Amino acid sequence: MLVAENLIKTFPGVRALDGATLRVSPGSVHALLGENGAGKSTLVKVLTGVYQPDGGRITLDGDDLRLTGPMDAQAAGIGVVHQERNLIPAFSVAENISLHHLPHRRGVVDRARMRAEARRCLGLLEVELDPDAPVATLSPAQGQLVEIAKALSLENRVLLLDEPTASLTGDEADHLYAVVRRLRDSGRAVVLVSHKLEEVFAVADTLTVLRDGRSVASGEALAGFSQSRVVDLMVGRAYEQVELARREVNAEAVPALRLADVATAHGHRDVSLEVRPGEILGLYGLVGAGRSELAKAILGLGRITAGTVEVHGKPARIATVGEALRRYRLGYVTEDRKDEGLFLDQQVTRNIAVTVWRRLARLGLVPDRAERRLALDFVGKLDIRISTPRQVAGQLSGGNQQKVSLAKWLAADCDILIVDEPTVGIDVRTKAAFHELIAGLAADGLALLLISSDLPETVALADRIAVMSDLRIAGVLDNDHDYPRMSRQIIRMIHAETHAEAA
Amino acid sequence: MTRFLRTPDFTLAAIALLGFVVLAFATSGNLLSAGTLGAFFRFLAVPVVIGLSQMVVLAVGQMNLSVGALTGFCAMAAAWLMLEAGLPAPVAVLAALALGLGVGLINGLLVVFTRINGFIVTLATMTIIQGLRYGVNGPDTFQGYSAGLRAFGRASVLGLPVVFLCALVVAGLVGWFFARTVAGRRLLASGGSPFAARLSGISNDRSLVVAHGLSGLLAGVAAVITVAASGSVNASIGDDLLLPSFAAPIIGGVALAGGMVSVTGTVLAAFLVRLVDVMQAQFGINPRWIDLIIGAVVLGAVLLGTVRQRLHDRGSTA
Repeated sequence: MLVAENLIKTFPGVRALDGATLRVSPGSVHALLGENGAGKSTLVKVLTGVYQPDGGRITLDGDDLRLTGPMDAQAAGIGVVHQERNLIPAFSVAENISLHHLPHRRGVVDRARMRAEARRCLGLLEVELDPDAPVATLSPAQGQLVEIAKALSLENRVLLLDEPTASLTGDEADHLYAVVRRLRDSGRAVVLVSHKLEEVFAVADTLTVLRDGRSVASGEALAGFSQSRVVDLMVGRAYEQVELARREVNAEAVPALRLADVATAHGHRDVSLEVRPGEILGLYGLVGAGRSELAKAILGLGRITAGTVEVHGKPARIATVGEALRRYRLGYVTEDRKDEGLFLDQQVTRNIAVTVWRRLARLGLVPDRAERRLALDFVGKLDIRISTPRQVAGQLSGGNQQKVSLAKWLAADCDILIVDEPTVGIDVRTKAAFHELIAGLAADGLALLLISSDLPETVALADRIAVMSDLRIAGVLDNDHDYPRMSRQIIRMIHAETHAEAA
Repeated sequence: MTRFLRTPDFTLAAIALLGFVVLAFATSGNLLSAGTLGAFFRFLAVPVVIGLSQMVVLAVGQMNLSVGALTGFCAMAAAWLMLEAGLPAPVAVLAALALGLGVGLINGLLVVFTRINGFIVTLATMTIIQGLRYGVNGPDTFQGYSAGLRAFGRASVLGLPVVFLCALVVAGLVGWFFARTVAGRRLLASGGSPFAARLSGISNDRSLVVAHGLSGLLAGVAAVITVAASGSVNASIGDDLLLPSFAAPIIGGVALAGGMVSVTGTVLAAFLVRLVDVMQAQFGINPRWIDLIIGAVVLGAVLLGTVRQRLHDRGSTA
């Protein structure tokens, strides 16, 4: 029996696990459920030695388990399929499956045994794949199956599957669950993380529900729960209601940004959205639903293959970010502020003025004074806390960094902003201030597309909420700011895959 | 078969063969005379091994700037051991290999423990080794060491110099190491996707140390070949090996980002670079131009590789 008690894991600015408890018995399938950011993937990573917990204990059959790395988890017989793909593209299917423990004779890989092992594991899944095919040539679904086969290859007592059916077809998922049942019947424990409640209810015996890193249900029999009870448990999230000034959006106004039936090279299909001036459109979805990729496609960082993009009612063809900025006054505040949003070792003023260097330049040189005057103007407006104007961006707190990342688009006079996960890794107080800032921008007439995986944030800020699931828009809801009701509707849309009832 | 015709190795082989035939004609068959041909292959041995030495660290996404200096240092050390310490040639040879391996391991350990980029670490060790190399015998030349070793350097089998055959055997071993051994596969896994490798229980740190150690060992092999084939060594040996060490694997299609090696490509590319060298000698081209030509070939090969990759990507998504 695998027991994790009171696990605590803190990342800078966020407590991802705050007393999570999980009990899994041999011979059972255990569902691990929770909303975005509830801590499911963190828990999986702690249980498999990828992260070390800051508190709590893990025991296997009563013995303390200290997992200092993935190898320890392997040695203890805990196998995993992570949500992200972790295969070596240039290696063959067989080699990826056996990579943990390449069969060998005196250090020389025994390919025959390796192939036989691959056939055995793929056979368990009833999948026909050439063991010698390089993984790079497989489809995403086939890659997923190889990962699962890899986890099956080890004679694990506990198997953790994090969203294993995300890229599988119905038939493939059925095969997988048949294997999961067989593993259970052979006495193994399977932990299943999935947002597809239908599937979970069909296969799981017991469940744990996480909310804000805590377990709100732990180890209980699934039979005692209905789907709507599980959704209720997931939703009741701790949430400080921020009182934001109500804004009126002119529904008749020409949309500042409009997508009609857009498809992208990334795989988006039939995406239609409208954001009007003065409006915040929330774009909510699970991690990996394709929201950032959509934003990047709009900005010319990805390819749009069909449909139209209109800016202020006129068709727009955006090839580069520079064009988006100068011609359409469209800015993108990235979710990855450290790598994509800021020059960490450059001064704050330079980070803010980078978008307008061209405008400030005299004879190709950027006057220091003009740059600083412009930047300090925004430092004041957004209340960015800096000790001296020469301070470099890397020394600021996360919240202030995010403001700098936003300020550079405001400096460039953008009137449409795509804001991607603006408050990730930011503490609660700064978060509230940031929400006010965003609402203030909308009140000033900017059109904002708010990409967020944080449901309370989305419901607090957005005027309307578009829900994205598997690269499509599952629906667009008018937001009445009634959090329990809105969140239930949205979670049902994604998790239970039913259509939104008219409110 | 058609698949093979489209591989970069086939393209390289075709270019190499074509270049060789053209050069043979252009020199009115002079290239094919026993002496010239022997010299051609004898002085191909070191570029092949040094290219492999660089390839091994490229496999884990690192670079080793110290390969040339290390080759020179090991060569000087071997000569010193024979002439000054009076040790027999086999012992000196083993010592040179051990020295190369040792310095390589030090490079690897420095990279792992300091977390400083391998480029910087090996830049530093290169400079240190250059200094040490002069310390062995100042600017003077060592010559007149073991007659047996020198005879080995000049020996031929079936018209091919033994040292070149040795280089081919080493290349075969390196290819086998990457294709078939657990350690080699782990190295490539670390180079290709470090995170995925870690999740599969592979120690990326160990891969770095193994790669640098192997690179040093191969530099030691290059040193032994140099000592045997050239008959005399001085402290300037190895200075001109750094660019060729990169040229061979890069022209040969080895990915700079790591995770992919090509022994055949590296050997063929070393052959091509050698052709350029011979061309220079045969036509009396000013030696000053040689680096320019090799540099241009490297750049061209990288560009060609990028274009080919793009065409391939487009073909597979369409």
